[in-house]
Amino acid sequence: MNSKKPLTVETISLDLKGATKEEILSEMVDLLMASGHIRDREAVLRAITDRERRMSTGMQNGIAIPHGKTDNVDCLVAALGIKHEGIDFGALDGQPSTIFVMTVSPDSRTGPHIQFLAEVSRPLNDANVRAKILSATTREEVLQLVLG
Amino acid sequence: MPSELSPSVQFILQLGLLIVFTRIGGYWLRRWFRLPGVIGELLVGVGIGPYALGKYSWPLVGRLFGLAADGGAVSPELYAVATFASIVLLFLSGLETDLSTFLRYSVAGTMVGLGGVLVSFALGAGCAVWLGLTESWLSPTALFLGATATATSVGISARILSERKKMDSPEGVTILAAAVFDDVLGIIVLAIVVGMVKSAASGGGIAWKDILLISIKAFGFWIGATAVGLLLARRFSKILKYFRSPQAIAALALGFALLLAGISEMAGLAMIIGAYIMGLSLSRTDLVQVIHKEIEGIQNILVPVFFATMGMMVNLSAIVPVLKIGLIYSLLAVLSKAVGCAFPALFCGFNRHGAMRIGVGMVPRGEVALIVAGIGLATGAIEQNVFGISVLMTLITTILGPLFLSGSFENPVSGLRKQPKDGEQMPQVEVELCFASPDMADFMRARIVKAFRQEEFYVYRLSPDTPSYHIRKDDMFFTLEHDGNSVVIRVPKVHETLARLIISEEMVLLRSMLQMGHGKANLDTMEHDLVSCLFTGNGQAQPNSEDEALPADEDE
Repeated sequence: MNSKKPLTVETISLDLKGATKEEILSEMVDLLMASGHIRDREAVLRAITDRERRMSTGMQNGIAIPHGKTDNVDCLVAALGIKHEGIDFGALDGQPSTIFVMTVSPDSRTGPHIQFLAEVSRPLNDANVRAKILSATTREEVLQLVLG
Repeated sequence: MPSELSPSVQFILQLGLLIVFTRIGGYWLRRWFRLPGVIGELLVGVGIGPYALGKYSWPLVGRLFGLAADGGAVSPELYAVATFASIVLLFLSGLETDLSTFLRYSVAGTMVGLGGVLVSFALGAGCAVWLGLTESWLSPTALFLGATATATSVGISARILSERKKMDSPEGVTILAAAVFDDVLGIIVLAIVVGMVKSAASGGGIAWKDILLISIKAFGFWIGATAVGLLLARRFSKILKYFRSPQAIAALALGFALLLAGISEMAGLAMIIGAYIMGLSLSRTDLVQVIHKEIEGIQNILVPVFFATMGMMVNLSAIVPVLKIGLIYSLLAVLSKAVGCAFPALFCGFNRHGAMRIGVGMVPRGEVALIVAGIGLATGAIEQNVFGISVLMTLITTILGPLFLSGSFENPVSGLRKQPKDGEQMPQVEVELCFASPDMADFMRARIVKAFRQEEFYVYRLSPDTPSYHIRKDDMFFTLEHDGNSVVIRVPKVHETLARLIISEEMVLLRSMLQMGHGKANLDTMEHDLVSCLFTGNGQAQPNSEDEALPADEDE
């Protein structure tokens, strides 16, 4: 499967501006808009925040994987954002989150949606990769690191 | 048979009784003797059939299961239902085929499957010659006894592997991969045998060049139809999806399976071959679950009827003279698979323990063997006694196979010749979820299965009796088992993240369901509505709020 195709240079941000969880989520959804596959921005944001409300997707070592499902997207869309200072995302280890991988997939269609999230997240298990992503100067570099 | 029973009423009564008795027979065998239900269904057929109880006249229905007007053991109507059931069975069998796993374990699977098929066919056909049933290896009797001995029914072994938690062991995976090869090759063998018998019946006799031509034709049809099917599968599935309704999709898929079955017969091959190819073609589309779910009901009702019909065709008095031959044939059928599959396994990295487990795991024969024998009998290629021998072999291998396989795992020693060094073996991770109650575990098991399917994994329940699943996609292979309060998922370490993410999404859903205060209020209301009319004395429901008026109140 060409699973990482939804993630492109256009949907990567090296410097997220938001200072709160809500602001980061909103900014990431704006990034997703670049994919051209989102029909209703607010519905997508609502799907993400609903999921986030049930349980935070803040993992460990600064990784967060906010995601959601809604039929207001045509296909699986993905974005990656970096917040160097980190923000409180309700992470499992209580540490600030710095690297955000967001995915949104159609609710009524089957597909390797979580598989995509898992594959993109896999390189982030490596501390070296995380460090390189945080110090990357171009979006292409980040894309290359995530694509492995 | 009382004269007032019309043929259609007779057929309906036969079908009804067969459905009822096979269900009861299968249930008893499973419950009391822990034997596969298929044995009970076959024995019900033997008992009820025209050569046993069926030959007597019974009150109200007369000689309902007596010999048919044309002298056959079953009426043409009932035989048509059994044929339809066999087509459904093979269509679903093709649909469930996991080509990816087969390709991944193709070397060991092919070696083991091929060894089993060749040795079984040779010993099966040889048995007919050596024991004096026929003089020629190319006679229909020899060919059919060879073909009948060929196809393993892996579902029975899969249940044992699951109970022993050995599904994902090297032996378990090799057995499953070999079974795919075995199925395909078994069906090709059937195609060749049917072709040869038809050629002989048309007066042409059978020469080696005929065998070659028929083999080329069988392989050609098989490879051609499968290739076209796999190539057009996605386009075909798109057309089916146009109809949106799962019922319409499943009905159309089955309709086309029947059409291909008919074409296959017209091409001189057996009908089940077309049905299997149709299922196999659709096995790589995302419609597998939809079709399977819709057609499973037909399978559950009609397949026991198929086994019982095969049982009805067994003439016990015809078996008695050849009982010794039948027992020898059955013994050879056990040995041929055990040795034919175990020997190649020794060259695929297994030691004698592993090879023996693989060998005995391939012993059970089932539906395909009976279908082959049934075709032989229906076409007149084999006699009653040979058919009886085939059924006896199916019964014996189905009983012995699971016993041997279960026993072979008593000794926990590794089945591999060389123990994998650290890092060589793909490390496995066990994710165990313990829930508050078996019901909650069952609910989450269903949710997790659905979640994997939504991720387009191929999820296959190993048997209706055990809640154990194989979850596959490309090179990923997980197992899921549900026992009491717990659900256990075993995954390779490399795919742990994926499995944990999928499961955690379902856990989030469960938690939010349990926490939903509003939902609880709804549950309270629904629960109240459901039970409010119980034990009221006058049988009338109690209104649960002032604004809800019962029709009785309106009447008043």
